Amino acid sequence: MKTTLRKNSKAIIILVVIAAFLFVAARGMSGKDVIITVLRGFSIGSVTFLVAAGFSLIFGLLDVLNLSQGTLYMIGAYVGWTVYVRPDTFVDVLTPILLILAGFSLSSLWERFAKRIQLGAKPQKIAAWVMILVGFGLLALILTRYPIASWDLNNYSQSPITYSYMADQGMPIIPAEAVFQKISPFVAVIGILVTSSLSAFSIALLNSGTATTETANWRKYFVPGVLVLVGVLALVFNARITSWMYGMNSNWLFVIAILVSVISGVGLGALMETTLIRPLYSRPIYQLMLTLGLGTIGVQIVQAVWGRPEFVLPKPALFTGTGGVCPATNLADLFENHCSTILLLGGRVRVYDEIFIPIVGIIVLIVVWILLKRSRIGMIIRAGVQDRQMVEALGINVRRVFTLVFALGVGLAAFGGALAAPSSGLTPMMGEKLLLSALIALAIGGLTSFPGAALGSLLVGLIQQFMIKYGQIGIPLPFTDAVFKPSPPLVPASTVLLMVIVLLILPGGLLGTKE
Amino acid sequence: MSNILEVKNIHSFINQYHILQNVDFVVPQGSITALLGRNGAGKTTTLKSILGLASVRQGSVIFNGREVQGMPPYEIAALGIGFVPEHRAIFRDLSVEENLKIAERSKGDLDRKREFIFNLFPDLKKFLNLRGTELSGGQQQMLAIARALVADNSLLLIDEPSEGLAPVIIEHMINVIRQLSERITVVLVEQNFLVASKLAEYFVIIEEGKSVEAGLMKDLEADKAMIHRYLGAA
Ligand SMILES: Nc1ncnc2c1ncn2[C@@H]1O[C@H](COP(=O)(O)OP(=O)(O)OP(=O)(O)O)[C@@H](O)[C@H]1O
Ligand SMILES: [Mg+2]
Repeated sequence: MKTTLRKNSKAIIILVVIAAFLFVAARGMSGKDVIITVLRGFSIGSVTFLVAAGFSLIFGLLDVLNLSQGTLYMIGAYVGWTVYVRPDTFVDVLTPILLILAGFSLSSLWERFAKRIQLGAKPQKIAAWVMILVGFGLLALILTRYPIASWDLNNYSQSPITYSYMADQGMPIIPAEAVFQKISPFVAVIGILVTSSLSAFSIALLNSGTATTETANWRKYFVPGVLVLVGVLALVFNARITSWMYGMNSNWLFVIAILVSVISGVGLGALMETTLIRPLYSRPIYQLMLTLGLGTIGVQIVQAVWGRPEFVLPKPALFTGTGGVCPATNLADLFENHCSTILLLGGRVRVYDEIFIPIVGIIVLIVVWILLKRSRIGMIIRAGVQDRQMVEALGINVRRVFTLVFALGVGLAAFGGALAAPSSGLTPMMGEKLLLSALIALAIGGLTSFPGAALGSLLVGLIQQFMIKYGQIGIPLPFTDAVFKPSPPLVPASTVLLMVIVLLILPGGLLGTKE
Repeated sequence: MSNILEVKNIHSFINQYHILQNVDFVVPQGSITALLGRNGAGKTTTLKSILGLASVRQGSVIFNGREVQGMPPYEIAALGIGFVPEHRAIFRDLSVEENLKIAERSKGDLDRKREFIFNLFPDLKKFLNLRGTELSGGQQQMLAIARALVADNSLLLIDEPSEGLAPVIIEHMINVIRQLSERITVVLVEQNFLVASKLAEYFVIIEEGKSVEAGLMKDLEADKAMIHRYLGAA
């Protein structure tokens, strides 16, 4: 008993301090305010955690500060919105993306060809660059002719805001189908495959000096084959899939939207790591600038495609029930009527925002925790965070694990974005604020500690929400009649203050390890 | 007798520093070969060069008849080289069991080797669930060697196993390495000349990044002048 106490003394002190803090913070409030504030804190904390956990996994193993994590969170939200509100656009985009991926995923085949070609260094380089330009040029030409149903930012009645609003009202607008006019479907499919293959081949030609030899097997052709097949099927059955998705139960559509945005995040992460981050491992400053730059570019692209104004991702039917027994006061009513709100201690609590999001956050926490603690990959990650060279010296391909972790980290951020969108709404700026919160949370919890990311995020969420609440009800100052109302700018400032205090006492963060 | 490892005139770099400037030696199959030399001579860098952890810009490294220079470290290691690094590099966040498990190259490696490993190091069996770094220094060294034995390796690179250990433990270590050398070839970096001379059949002396002498250990033991010149007082 005594030894366990001593061993965990730090954890116990931290818990006691947090509990005392919460107790004091809650004293000035009514029970219903406390409940709502705490739940909102958990909600914001969960979303922050998804971004922070990804950031900390990536930083821990790869030593990369991925400052584009906030932007990727935002992109996750916009991808989710598109699948959910405009499935027609999603289905249209699916085919070209899958075909391009197929062209590129034949890279090992291309590398083999590239090795056979012996032109001498200089002509080979020139040939490669010419082919890259031709390949990407033609690809761009085809893509601009490829029909994709979209929205019109300049026309309010066809803007994302209107589509969202109408879908939220339960009367989704079903836009006209995009049809092949400027290019025939056959030419488009073959063209995309050929041009993306050509580009991949010429990139392989550029790198053929450094590429590693890998033995070929059937799997190398299986993946591109499946991609082509699914891409073509999506094209042939485009109209049917679209109308099926529009007619689908909104809960399932929401699940699909989340899945697609996670998959996009994972894919984007893998792509970023293998193409942009990898060549810069020996130059951390460039890497930092790269992730920062990518983040900014991402924001610009999203602004150009989805527009600057804020809009919402409507909640699925499971969370929108009203009237009758809603707000529910017991679980039976809640489940039967899918109430959007419930009454807890007299306070109205939004089910999606304040119950569902925290539950999902906790589930992700547990799943990633188990992955880290129980799987071989998790073991390699934990070991690699400490000593990459030793892990490699054991015969483990750490590079591949790097890609995986980067993909996973970005996937978590994208998941966070899609999950938060129905509650927070979508703006191109939504990532910036969250990245800042996530960084503060990590500094508080410990940069490379996974439980630290969770604890830090939760604290940041709680502090923010308590400050917001006190901004509404005011804090009576002792010995005077004055009431102090923290103004909105004090909300982020309060988290920074907490960070400073923690770092002064524990420079490694609450759960960080000492270096 | 054939050579399991041939290091041919290598020049190695760590970052931009040119650290090895012509290291050249061979390791006969089944032997224990000691790399000797003063602090900072380049012994550790030589081991890292064999594994591809330091970048070899000139010369070649041939393991089991195969050129490995230029291959990524994980591929070189997977050919059958076990590494026991300086300062042990036990994984802090992994239990003793996991520290062994992570070295598996195919499923079930650890289960196949369990008995063999725990016969050599009965201590480890008692502490399987402890964190790697909760072990004593001697136990950590045992764990580091055990970790290199989990996969089927035909060559062990061991860097200063006696560093910071009590004499009794060093004695145990010597016994273990001697036992191991019956089935595995060993390259041993050792500051403690007594330990090296008890174990090794061959020696290589490295001085300022160059291999300067090599031969039979028993000849070196007889040559007090050479010991004095390269290794200081013996
Ligand atoms: N990361 C590094 N950057 C710069 N120089 C290095 C680095 N690592 C090692 N060196 C230098 O390379 C030389 C050889 O180092 P190495 O570790 O191989 O020596 P060693 O023979 O193993 O010494 P010791 O007996 O002290 O372990 C030393 O002069 C050292 O200062
Ligand atoms: Mg050394």
